[in-house]
Amino acid sequence: MVLTGRAVLLAAAGVVALALVPSAGTVLVWAVLVALVCVVDALLAASPRRVAVHREVPASVRLSQSATCTLTVTNVGPRRLRGLVRDAWQPSAGAVVDRHRVDLPPGEGRRLRTVLVPTRRGDRRADLVTVRTVGPLGVAGRQASVPVPARLRVLPEFASRRHLPSRLARLRELDGRSAVQVRGAGTEFDSLREYVVGDDVRSIDWRATARRNDVVVRTWRPERDRRVLLVLDTSRTSAARVGDAPRLDAALEAALLLAALASRAGDRVELLAYDRRVRARVVGASGPRLMPALADALAGVEPTLVEADWPGAAAQVRERLSRRALVVLLTALEPAAVEAGLLAVVGPLAQRHQVVLASVADPEAEDLRRGRGDAAAVFDAAAAERAGLERAAVALRLRQRGVEVVDALPDDLAPALADRYLALKAAGRL
Amino acid sequence: MSATTEVPSGGTPGPGPGSGSSLPPSPGSSPTSSPVPSPAAAPAGVLGVVGDGTDLRARSVRRWRRLRAPLAVVGALVVTGVVLALPQPRTSTVPLAPDNVEDGGGRAVAQVLGDRGVDVRYVRTTADALAVAAPGTTLLVTNDFLLAEDQVRAVAGSGADLVLLAPGFSLPLVTDALAPAFSGSAAPAERAAGCDDPDALAAGTVDAAGGVRATGTGDATVCFTDGGDDGGTWAVAHEDGHRVTVVGDAGLLSNARVDEAGHAALALRTLGRHDTLVWYVPSFDDTGVDPADEGGVGGSTDALLPPFVRLLVPLSVLVVAVAALWRVRRTGRLVTEPLPVVVRAGETVRGRGRLYRRGRAHGRAGAALRAGSASRCATRLGLPRTAAAPVVIDAVARATGREARAVEALLYGPPPRDDATLTRLATDLDDLESEVHRP
Repeated sequence: MVLTGRAVLLAAAGVVALALVPSAGTVLVWAVLVALVCVVDALLAASPRRVAVHREVPASVRLSQSATCTLTVTNVGPRRLRGLVRDAWQPSAGAVVDRHRVDLPPGEGRRLRTVLVPTRRGDRRADLVTVRTVGPLGVAGRQASVPVPARLRVLPEFASRRHLPSRLARLRELDGRSAVQVRGAGTEFDSLREYVVGDDVRSIDWRATARRNDVVVRTWRPERDRRVLLVLDTSRTSAARVGDAPRLDAALEAALLLAALASRAGDRVELLAYDRRVRARVVGASGPRLMPALADALAGVEPTLVEADWPGAAAQVRERLSRRALVVLLTALEPAAVEAGLLAVVGPLAQRHQVVLASVADPEAEDLRRGRGDAAAVFDAAAAERAGLERAAVALRLRQRGVEVVDALPDDLAPALADRYLALKAAGRL
Repeated sequence: MSATTEVPSGGTPGPGPGSGSSLPPSPGSSPTSSPVPSPAAAPAGVLGVVGDGTDLRARSVRRWRRLRAPLAVVGALVVTGVVLALPQPRTSTVPLAPDNVEDGGGRAVAQVLGDRGVDVRYVRTTADALAVAAPGTTLLVTNDFLLAEDQVRAVAGSGADLVLLAPGFSLPLVTDALAPAFSGSAAPAERAAGCDDPDALAAGTVDAAGGVRATGTGDATVCFTDGGDDGGTWAVAHEDGHRVTVVGDAGLLSNARVDEAGHAALALRTLGRHDTLVWYVPSFDDTGVDPADEGGVGGSTDALLPPFVRLLVPLSVLVVAVAALWRVRRTGRLVTEPLPVVVRAGETVRGRGRLYRRGRAHGRAGAALRAGSASRCATRLGLPRTAAAPVVIDAVARATGREARAVEALLYGPPPRDDATLTRLATDLDDLESEVHRP
């Protein structure tokens, strides 16, 4: 049984009875009367268990966009149902208003819409649907919670897609350059076209020119059908908060942008999320199916508080890749963690593949480094300076082993990694 | 934002393909709402989940199991409280009150009088006292500090035999024959009756101070004098047909001293003259005498309030209890979810800074600042990372126009020893860096 605010008002109305009959017995009688009215009203209320509840949720929604959960409530009991329906969701599902007033004659149904604006990536689960009915007087009622499971998959925001058009334009610029400007092992022959003033004479194809009356030059295009393997580190270093979000989220944005760019460039993209075991894997998706597959796989990836198993990750990479490929390690450039695990396995990996290590830098470290307020701030600045030097030293050791290192602030990592990819592609180093 | 919409009827399709199929259309219904076919006819999966899978019996059992422990505790508390409260008569700490069992109380005398058939009426206001006091009763006034003149006159005019304990200003208002006697030494002393009043003679001796003397203008008997100027302990006078008895030493009636010497006899004989004794202990919240009132006498402040105000307390308890029951029931349970880590990445750097500070590692901190500064200068001047110290010093000196020795002292000088030199070193390095530009 539940009471409403009206029950309080009813109890307070006892002051009138008390003014008329001022005696202690009046209070007692009034208390009994209030209890009686509440019980009768609750008994007259429609049963909250004779309500059919059906919940419909869109399969997935991108973070920061809104979704609508539709709750269909049907009164299957014989009484008129007045009351409140609560569509309970986890807090980060961001239900704007989850309580709905209903007034249903017997046998009728209503659709109640709960707008969800998720605040976090991942699977957001719905909880019980609570039906609270009130009696004809609105003084008391009954309540029951019905389990109606539902799940809303919140995909990564992919805010870095705003960088995609400019990178695609640069990718197109790579197309059709003459061979001399883009000389490298990986460039491929594209087509023949007429010579125009300005073309390098060395790119003239004399044999083709001989067959036709015009002077013909060969053009080249960037290599295609290379393989790109994104290895996402979900170990403890990815859990630390940089700015307002875990480091993993920035790495996700970078991975999504690179995947979008590489798939447009005609490369085959695979993804592996790994700490001590495989957390997510996207293999064999290409073309328009790649990005949805990636978003779906990455939606549920959360940082785990374990140390990364880099030898295991290297074994996974070896298993997946037979010929030379671009391996992008999205991890943190933490000196201790890198020296303990990654440094030992990255050498052999870099000999077989082109390895790029993308790391999310911490803007707070730079603020700390500039601190001169008092002695404590200077000590912090010294610590930040020392940490920065150690990062630089580790980055140097990685570069000596043939690893490209991209170390950028969370917002800059995605474009920086895309630029590095384009640079490698232009140089034919994939 | 939320929207409640009617489920569409037969002709109008729903807004989405999924939601439209959730309810089977029923022809012939009104256009605004659609009665759903009878639950028995509809497949369960279409309408959704009905109920939480419990029946009344299961719920009752579950509620009983959940509530019985708290109910048992509350019940035990109530029973214990009642058992503890029932046999205990109410007591107070008011001086000389008949329900006060402490040394300064008057319960011993009141109880003995009660046992002997005297009806002891305990009152706290003049109005209550006057309501009971009448000719043929005894009216005991334990003090007059809290009484106004009007109240004293009203008490004196009640017609009852008055017994005043250690009266001060009120005595002349009651009788002309007696007056308070003050002296420097009011120490109790052994005194014999020294008069022919039968009550005093029955008591024999008292161990008390004096406090009352005869003025000589009326019919008064003063007993237990010791010849000094502090008068006697006990005196009696007759005024307008009623007795006025004055006990100069109020402590005589107290629980602590009533069993000494002849105190008990004196007290019982003084107070037990009539079947009814009005035991008046004046109180602060007595509004005293209201001249506008018909009877000329007011009551306590409580009596001025409307009669139901006192009953508002139990009613407000009821209202608060109902409000608590209203607010205590949630609309469904709290929903939990696992949250991500909240530790900031910069915590490791801060931790290292604290360690430096706690270890007073000024030298180490200075070295870190110098190394970072030198490395940035070298990068800016295009030197390789492996450049030796003299090369860096030379390049920086040329870029800034400073002396090479000064640059060397700054970049490779002695380590700082305390906070002040460390802070100065940091700012000096900042200055140096700001002067280095790409050549």
